[in-house]
Amino acid sequence: MVLEVRGLRKSFGGTVAVDDASFTVRRGSIFGFVGPNGAGKTTTLSIITGLLRPDAGQVVVGGTDVWREPTTAKRKLGVLPDRMRLFDRLTGAQMLYYAAVLHGLDRSAARSRIDDLAVALGLDGSLDRPVRDYSVGMVKKISLAAALIHSPSVLVLDEPFESVDPVSTAQAVDLLTRFAAAGGTVVLSSHNMDLVERVCDSVAVIVAGRVLAAGTLDEVRAGSSLEDRFVELAGGRVAVEGLEWLTTFSD
Amino acid sequence: MVDDVLRLKLALLGSAFRPGATLARTLAVVVLGLAVGAAIILLALEVDVRLAGHRAGLVIVASALAIALAVAPLSAGLGSALEPRRFASFPIPPRTLARGLGAAGAVGLPGLLAAVLGIGLELAWAGTPTAPAAIVAGALGAAAVILVSQHLVAIGAQLAASPAARRLVTGVARAVIVLALAVAATTVIVVQSGAEDDTLQAIAATLAATPVGLVWAAPEGEPALLLVRLLGGAVMVGVLVVGWGWLVARLVEAPQRTRSSAPAHGLGWFDLVPATPAGVIAARSLLYWWRDARYRVVVLALPVVPALMMLAFGAAGAPLPPLWLVPLPVLALFLGWFVHNDAAYDHTALWLHVAAPVPGAADRWGRCVPPLLLGVPLVLALAPLFALWSGVEGVLPALIGVSIGLLLTGLGVSSVASAIGAYPAARPGAGPFDQPPMLGVRAGWAQATALLATILFMAPALVVAIGGFAQPAWFAVAGVAGAATGFGMLLLGIVIGGRAFRRRAPELLDLVLRT
Repeated sequence: MVLEVRGLRKSFGGTVAVDDASFTVRRGSIFGFVGPNGAGKTTTLSIITGLLRPDAGQVVVGGTDVWREPTTAKRKLGVLPDRMRLFDRLTGAQMLYYAAVLHGLDRSAARSRIDDLAVALGLDGSLDRPVRDYSVGMVKKISLAAALIHSPSVLVLDEPFESVDPVSTAQAVDLLTRFAAAGGTVVLSSHNMDLVERVCDSVAVIVAGRVLAAGTLDEVRAGSSLEDRFVELAGGRVAVEGLEWLTTFSD
Repeated sequence: MVDDVLRLKLALLGSAFRPGATLARTLAVVVLGLAVGAAIILLALEVDVRLAGHRAGLVIVASALAIALAVAPLSAGLGSALEPRRFASFPIPPRTLARGLGAAGAVGLPGLLAAVLGIGLELAWAGTPTAPAAIVAGALGAAAVILVSQHLVAIGAQLAASPAARRLVTGVARAVIVLALAVAATTVIVVQSGAEDDTLQAIAATLAATPVGLVWAAPEGEPALLLVRLLGGAVMVGVLVVGWGWLVARLVEAPQRTRSSAPAHGLGWFDLVPATPAGVIAARSLLYWWRDARYRVVVLALPVVPALMMLAFGAAGAPLPPLWLVPLPVLALFLGWFVHNDAAYDHTALWLHVAAPVPGAADRWGRCVPPLLLGVPLVLALAPLFALWSGVEGVLPALIGVSIGLLLTGLGVSSVASAIGAYPAARPGAGPFDQPPMLGVRAGWAQATALLATILFMAPALVVAIGGFAQPAWFAVAGVAGAATGFGMLLLGIVIGGRAFRRRAPELLDLVLRT
């Protein structure tokens, strides 16, 4: 087990965002983290990556407790957080170089990896433009490159494919599959059930801060499709009532 | 080996005279050099060292020319400069290489002119009792100029990894030469007109107290002072020689810095800083100071605040000349204090520092670099001028020490404050006067505490400086005390602030997430 999460708890004021979440991730797997809006996905992933302090619980990455020995743990982690800024006055190349050097890479390694990642993720033509001029999808791609640049053993990606075009998504998925095949571990959250079903080999479903199901894809699906299982776990479809006016078209 | 380097140098010099596009430029430079050399000799024969004004002029002109000659090799562009790195691939012992390059530095126009400058000092003092001392001083001065220029070439070649940086180095060197020559010419004219003796002497005295003018002023001193200055010059040359050996050894052994392949993507200022967390954070910070309106407005306000304070004091009836002592300390205090909420200025981009294993002190150091780069040269350049205008005897050391102290102490306090007392700040890209929606009382407390703490830590030095108005000897004490307080507080602030930043990083991120 390369990532172990035990009894995480986090509340903001009166609302409980994560309630006793526990799950484990195998080395070399691509782990999908799914849940409805506001279920606590981002909060959980932020705690795992050392960005948000939990009220209780433990996160162990490759044998290192993230909250006891953050510096050691952070060397092993590659992070793509959701809805956080980048230093967007830097150009793409500067941004990647910054991330690389902060993780202890030297100049030549940083440079050659920037070039490699630019080709792999289709960023080549945009590296000399400031990040603030990038589209949302481009920002996701450069963030993914920044998360990968120090070759972490565990990647934690929060909504990595939101607003990314299909071609780039396919490219990035390829890259992640290769990364996992070589022994790397990926934890990603997504709303896109098809994509999670296609890419991930293990899944956890989180609803209202609780992990309702976790395991291999087949275990969690239990015979039906992931989407049906997900909707079922999330409380089923709510019968739509009282919206009769919606079907009385005004013209 | 030394012969080989010298022969190479002569061949390089000879190649400049080959017919071609550069010949005209070479000839122009040679003519300028000869003119400067002739001017030095003529002035040396003309100067009358029995007159105080002439003596002061001599020190100023010699210092200005020394600076010009020290940067002269950089102005030619670094294309064919003989710098240590070029010899890295040959099996030459660094010590031998250092000697060869040092000797080669003496050959060529700048080296020749440095020697002429030294001889000029001897000519000026010839026939006086201190003539022998002048010979020693001249030799020391010439050696120092040549060695400094070697250091500068080696360091300049390191900095100039990209074509843009190379142009920048060359451009700065040329600007310095033009300025220095202008200063020398102005001084000669002022001396000849016979006016403003006091000003000249004050400037010369200031220069004589620095490494720049130390040896050039040596022959005019009383025997004791003369000895001290010569000794200082010898120590300076000694340090330069040892430093040169060390620098050559280091450069030859360190990995190649110039890019091997064509650059795929320019990294701008990131190419100029070391590839360490503190280095890149400094470069990023500089970029934001340069481009972000929230920082730029401060840079623009810097000269305004002290000017307003002077006006206010002046309107209240304070006499003008001593008021010149107000602007620099105020400016330094303001600049050091300004970064007390720097982490919040990053907004959520701070996650990059939190998610990476960045040492807290590296984060703190990087953020201190722009105000240091802005503040320290400003203080050093303006302090002599303001001290002179204030008309207060001997106030210069206090002005420099207290100003630097306020800046560094402010940065130390800010390093801690931005980790433990952060409050919501305007977002990146916001207008210069935008305020965040929920500022709260916390902001006021943090601002006031950071300012008061800085003044409190500097209070001893400030009190001593004020005591200097009654007893001028205290000015020097205040200067030393101020600078020492500053260095101590900066180091302490970075250590404590670094720890606090590492510990409180998630809370800082939480704060910016909620704004």
